[in-house]
Amino acid sequence: MLRLENLKKSYRDGEGNPIPVVDVSEFFLEQGSIIALYGDSGSGKTTFLNLIAGILTPDHGTLKFAGCCLHELDENQRDQLRAKSIGYIFQSFHLLQGCTALENLLIAMSFAGKVDSSKAKELLKVVGLAERMNYKPNELSIGQQQRVALARAVVNQPSLVLADEPTGNLDQRNTQVSLDILKELCEVNEASMIIVSHDPKVISSFETKMNWSDLNRVQENPVSKND
Amino acid sequence: MIKPGLQVILFLAIRSIQRHALSSFIAIFSISMAGGLVLSTWKINQETRRAFHISTSGFDAVLGARGSKLQIILNSLFHLEDSPGNLTWEQYELIKSNRGVKEAYPIAVGDNYLGYRLVGTEPDLFEKHEWNPGRSYEVKPGGRIFSSMAKEALVGSFVADQIGLKPGDQFHPYHGLDFKEENKHEDIYVVVGILEPTGTPTDRVIWIPIKGIQLMEGHDPTMAHSLSAVLLKLKGAAGFSLHTKYNKQGNVATLAWPVASTLSSFFDKFSWFQKVLELVAGLVAIIGFFIIILSLRTSMNEKKREFAILRCLGASRMVVTSIVLFQSLTLALLGGVGGVAFHYLLNLISFSIIRENTGVMMNSVSFDPMIFYLFGSVLVLGLISGVFPSFQAYKNELSENLKIIS
Repeated sequence: MLRLENLKKSYRDGEGNPIPVVDVSEFFLEQGSIIALYGDSGSGKTTFLNLIAGILTPDHGTLKFAGCCLHELDENQRDQLRAKSIGYIFQSFHLLQGCTALENLLIAMSFAGKVDSSKAKELLKVVGLAERMNYKPNELSIGQQQRVALARAVVNQPSLVLADEPTGNLDQRNTQVSLDILKELCEVNEASMIIVSHDPKVISSFETKMNWSDLNRVQENPVSKND
Repeated sequence: MIKPGLQVILFLAIRSIQRHALSSFIAIFSISMAGGLVLSTWKINQETRRAFHISTSGFDAVLGARGSKLQIILNSLFHLEDSPGNLTWEQYELIKSNRGVKEAYPIAVGDNYLGYRLVGTEPDLFEKHEWNPGRSYEVKPGGRIFSSMAKEALVGSFVADQIGLKPGDQFHPYHGLDFKEENKHEDIYVVVGILEPTGTPTDRVIWIPIKGIQLMEGHDPTMAHSLSAVLLKLKGAAGFSLHTKYNKQGNVATLAWPVASTLSSFFDKFSWFQKVLELVAGLVAIIGFFIIILSLRTSMNEKKREFAILRCLGASRMVVTSIVLFQSLTLALLGGVGGVAFHYLLNLISFSIIRENTGVMMNSVSFDPMIFYLFGSVLVLGLISGVFPSFQAYKNELSENLKIIS
């Protein structure tokens, strides 16, 4: 489902010198499998996720997702792929502040070209927000905002979910609730997931774990722009 | 309901306007003011010219004392300004008998009641004359036209509404065109009828027999056979010969003819004022569009974050660019709608002031094709205002802004 080879990405410092951030020789993810990736902050994990999502383009290497070579797609095609096939969850949720919980889901659906209001409402019920779907993010608790973000990430039934420190802002109770919901949603949708965290408790709740430093050949902590 | 494509772009543009409600309101308000001013300036100018031209009560010319044509017309047909002087009864008889004259009615002014002019004339004016083709004066039920030898008054509809005169009421006229309590005449007039509204200056006058003005107690007895002007309806091209006779060869009277071109020269005198208003409106419009640009620019940092989120959700560069453009266009469009509403409000107020002061009725709610030009202009300017911020949105690098959001 996802295969990448010799993937490299560098940033430039102020003087234009390249700073390697990601150097992964090989990575493979099966349909429906979940991998928890752990490692130090600032070690290039978010950059890795952004490369997979097509938000960043690699300097070198190939990245095949659902049979497509991402580097062969133009920007619009990558946008479409991201809209339809990839769900992205951020540490600080990044909900659209001017829109209600339901609208946040409907907007994500509209970019994938298939808006189904009843499905969005059903999903919000599943994550326990049946009574809060018409509330704006600033009217929701942190835990509720996170659940909106989870629902938004899976609303288009993506084949891949990328979760970047999804529980970083949550307390222990909300962390466990969110992880359970996320696993369940991925299972129901038969979606694969890469979850990134530096929290050992989060990582321990997943069967398949991988140390980022075992995957990334850049061993020194890069001065990353994103992670 | 959010739908893919244009609808989601419009939805997000409107939500963005709602989120920045104050700056959006100021931008819309400025454009409304500017649009309303531009439209109203044009409309008031056009409608005033049109209304004054059709409010000449069906007369082609006015004979008055030697002086300004404009003053004669304003005094005799619009009941504004002072009379430039008097004519003799013989002059009236002479022009009335001219074969080029179809109708001639003498008028005499010089008195008022509570500030409304008393105009003396012959009852024929209300019996035979058509103030608009096919439209004669009509008296409201229960009233009649005054008798030429009695102290009777026929009251214009506007005056009757304003001071509540009705048939059977009596009043003392006051000397002069401005109301002064100490100038009361001893004569007592009885209201015998109220005229139906005509939308012309006739509505603002109290009409009495011409003998009433001439023989009013306290007036100079030597003026008992004088009059202020003669209202004329001419046959065919008689105006040319009468113009030559009175204005070029004679020196005792002035023929104000043609009425339309004399009125045009009157409005031309105020064209500078229209230009000033247009300039003010133009400046307000420019400020309005700068406010749109500023409003879009100042919220751009916050928007960069929003755009990055949208891009992560799969929105293309064109989508985020379109959101900014639609936002700008929506502000401009709402400004245009506000401008049309403001222009109707301004027209209503200014036309009511003009009616109150001149009796000329103007149509304040008629649709004007200029509205299309206004919308065209604001949309073009809205588009121009949105180009730079939307270009910024287009150039916005998702990976750069992930630094902010990650």
